[in-house]
Amino acid sequence: MADLAPSAPLLSVRDLHVQFPTERGTVNAVNGVSFDLYEGKTLAIVGESGSGKSVTAKTLMNLLPRTAQVSGEVTYDGRDVRALAAEKVKHFFGVQMTMVFQDPMTSLNPVKKVGEQIAETLRYHLGRSRSEALEEAVELLDVVGMPEPARRVSQYPHELSGGLRQRVVIAMALACQPRLLIADEPTTAVDVTVQKHLLDLLDELRRNRGMSMILITHDLGVAHGRADDVAVMYAGRVVETADARTLFFDMRHPYTEALLRSIPRIDDPVHHRLDPIPGRPPELIDPPDECAFAPRCIYAQSDCLGGVPELSGLVGLHRFACLHPTGTERGMAAMSSNRAAGATAAGLPVTGSGGGSG
Amino acid sequence: MTADDRKTGNPTASGEGPVPRKGRASRERLLWRFRILRLVRSSRVPDDDPTEDAAVRRRLGFSFWLAVAWLLIMAFVAAFAPMLPVADPTKVAFGGPREPPSADAWFGTDALGRDVFSRTVHGARISLAVGGFAIVFGMVVGGSLGIVAGYFRGRLDQAVGFAFFVLLSFPSLVLAILITATLDRSLLVVSLTIGILAVAPVGLLARASTLVFAEREFVAAARVLGARHGRIIVRELLPNVVIPMGALTLLGMAIAVVAEGSLAFLGLSVAGEDAISWGKMIVDGAGLRDLQNATHVTMFPVVVMFLTVLSLNFAGDRIRQYFDVKELAF
Amino acid sequence: MAGTGHAQLRDRDDVLLRVKDLVVHFPAGRRRVVHAVSEVTFDVVSGETLGIVGESGCGKSTVARAIIRLVDITAGEVLYEGRDLARLEGEDLRRVRPQVQMIFQDPISSLNPRRRVRDVIAEGLAVWGDDIGSWSRDRIDELMDAVGVEARYGARRPHEFSGGQCQRIGIARALALDPKVLICDEPVSALDVSIQAQILNLMQDMKRRYGLTVLFISHDLSVVKNVSDRIVVMYLGKVCEIGSTAEIYSRPAHPYTRALLASIPEPAPTVEVSEGGIGDELPSATDPPSGCRFHTRCPRATDVCGEVEPVTEQVGDADHYVACHHPAAVEISPR
Repeated sequence: MADLAPSAPLLSVRDLHVQFPTERGTVNAVNGVSFDLYEGKTLAIVGESGSGKSVTAKTLMNLLPRTAQVSGEVTYDGRDVRALAAEKVKHFFGVQMTMVFQDPMTSLNPVKKVGEQIAETLRYHLGRSRSEALEEAVELLDVVGMPEPARRVSQYPHELSGGLRQRVVIAMALACQPRLLIADEPTTAVDVTVQKHLLDLLDELRRNRGMSMILITHDLGVAHGRADDVAVMYAGRVVETADARTLFFDMRHPYTEALLRSIPRIDDPVHHRLDPIPGRPPELIDPPDECAFAPRCIYAQSDCLGGVPELSGLVGLHRFACLHPTGTERGMAAMSSNRAAGATAAGLPVTGSGGGSG
Repeated sequence: MTADDRKTGNPTASGEGPVPRKGRASRERLLWRFRILRLVRSSRVPDDDPTEDAAVRRRLGFSFWLAVAWLLIMAFVAAFAPMLPVADPTKVAFGGPREPPSADAWFGTDALGRDVFSRTVHGARISLAVGGFAIVFGMVVGGSLGIVAGYFRGRLDQAVGFAFFVLLSFPSLVLAILITATLDRSLLVVSLTIGILAVAPVGLLARASTLVFAEREFVAAARVLGARHGRIIVRELLPNVVIPMGALTLLGMAIAVVAEGSLAFLGLSVAGEDAISWGKMIVDGAGLRDLQNATHVTMFPVVVMFLTVLSLNFAGDRIRQYFDVKELAF
Repeated sequence: MAGTGHAQLRDRDDVLLRVKDLVVHFPAGRRRVVHAVSEVTFDVVSGETLGIVGESGCGKSTVARAIIRLVDITAGEVLYEGRDLARLEGEDLRRVRPQVQMIFQDPISSLNPRRRVRDVIAEGLAVWGDDIGSWSRDRIDELMDAVGVEARYGARRPHEFSGGQCQRIGIARALALDPKVLICDEPVSALDVSIQAQILNLMQDMKRRYGLTVLFISHDLSVVKNVSDRIVVMYLGKVCEIGSTAEIYSRPAHPYTRALLASIPEPAPTVEVSEGGIGDELPSATDPPSGCRFHTRCPRATDVCGEVEPVTEQVGDADHYVACHHPAAVEISPR
């Protein structure tokens, strides 16, 4: 980060592990995730399905099913969040820390007017009277850019479009003036034009209210321009984290590079041949002791298969978990030796500049 | 998992070789054999081979097999009752009237001195036959109507739906009395009566699950390929709809067995002294004096019927759970 | 438009599919109807990939399903090789079906969970076994190989495969009958980003290998740009803009197209489109706005837009047609 960070982060996560026992074996959903989030900043966590990004968010919000086994430290403003959760502290989750989900209908009660739902939050957490709370609900709807807020409070969720419903959910999340908002794929269920409005809104709210935000998304485009820092997750680990500019234009991890290259872009020429990532994401049950991306990585060397690489460097700086990072001499050497051999150490054929066939 | 598997992104399981092409009928048979095999294999402790199909690993459990064992015994007893070394169930004064269980008459004797054990064994014949026939009738008639209605929708659906609701709204007892009183009280008529009562509930279930599957894109895909309606119903819908219905077979049979008992109570079960059913036995022993002094006359048929119905319900429910396959195990 | 008009139709010999004034209404209860598709007109020439873009509710999927007769056509023509698919019924319709195949959005839902993938792929051949000629194991092996699913996994059921693999199986099923036209309804939007590119590349390969004409429906403008030769932009059941891909993306003339392009979140944007924002309330399709259907959200709307429905007109002399009273004439500038 270029600017000087304040002394202590608002949220600090250290070595978070989450496992789910299932019939088929233990799913290692999150494997040692660490990050810091400072006041007023946005951290985007980017990854595909199964990368552990949503599980991380749910762990922070204490929303995991009881079968989940969690270890690691989560500190919010100097307080141990997991201890708060264990003691069932009232007025913390949903007040200090709130969450917006992908599908607004999971957070909304379909048979209650939206105004009452917002008012309920205010009455429960802040002890407002009924009429005060309803008045505040109208104000909140106005803040989130709901047209005709006074009329909307008495509508039911099904009478609103997807975009407006998500605004209601955001209004509910804002009701108690949270200092941290976790948005889990907040725009995945809506159209692009609506998505832009919602992302602009979240951005504006964060700035005006000095909130911190964790934006969870599978869409690199959404992360770009909305986040100060970006963490890329793969197979339950953060594989690369940096400020957004560095991450998108000077990435070091081959997965970040391959992901950016594989998506079709609007400024690519027509019929541009895409560069897909070969293979598919690894199983999270009994993962082998190697870099999880190695089987799909065109840089993979024999040492990549010898153990899971650690994230390099200090928290807060550009960190990546790769032994042969792209854009470095080691990476170049790895690539040229793989090209000469025609295959990577994991057996993936390498031809020309791109990856193998899918 | 080999490196080769990873790079091609194929599922992490060792491949079964491609099945040789066979005729349609034999393939269907294979399919069923596979299903039964899966049932059997699933009861074993799952081995450590990670390549096993996840579905195979789910277990039906010991209690399921206990229930199945009971049902098999009942089925065997029912099938071979006349050949079994038991007393003649109709022989009056086999012992004294209302004798308690003894070494000669394990379940005691009833008011006419007939052997309750032998009667319970023979009673399984009619009880299970009525239950089985009724539910098969309900499945075939109700199931076909439900699937056809759910697939074609429109007017046909409205007509079939209306018929189902009429059947459901008509007091079932009145219907049963009407039929058995008008026609004779033969095994066929009694079974058919209960079978008709099963048509509407089974039909509605078949219709509901057909509606769900008919919306799925694989049905649209089959239409786009040019498959005719009949083929879509048989190939695409039936295999999916048959599973919730199959589980219902056992549950429905349990209801039918109880229904026969109820009819017997009204004196409407299969007529004739030779026609013994558990329901009729219970009625025989339901006099006040019998209940007070000779509980065993009713107790044994009641317990056997209870265990049978319980086993049917339990096994049916476990099978339903078992086949409730997750569509996707990423 | 979002409007009507036939200016975009091409007078060429190799037009394979011509959709003219296609209307699809769905009953919405209480005698009301959803105007899902309203007088949509476009054509596809042999070997071309036509992309249809728009947001949810614009009718793009309904157009696809109407062409393939999975939904009932209220009015209009769908001319395929000179025959009107909209008028075909029963056996005549069934006989044309093998030539126009479809790939569905949800790879899981589009495969029967109770059937082995080999049988799924062979279904078309089994249906037409007597008419198209005997089918062999070789044909299925070849198809599975072509789409990148190993033939030895043929005996498995769909749930044992990943989403990307299921989509490959769906593609093999569609190709089994050697279709001329392949309709792809959001084929990659249910897939993970790293898998999308694999499937898009595969579809390009299949198009070349089997000489397909493709109708590609998607809400994702980047994906559509990647695959399409020509593009139709739809809004609320109407065509807004139609033209060659290069034209649409470099000189978008319809305010809606411009708004769509401006909304795309890009990981590393190099193009900027300046356009007034549009509201996020999509009008109801049961009671669509009068005149131009986009006028309620359009930053350029004037009185005429609410009264007169625009007709498609050529933009300059390029392969570019727009239905708008106030089309933008400005090129978007590379940043």
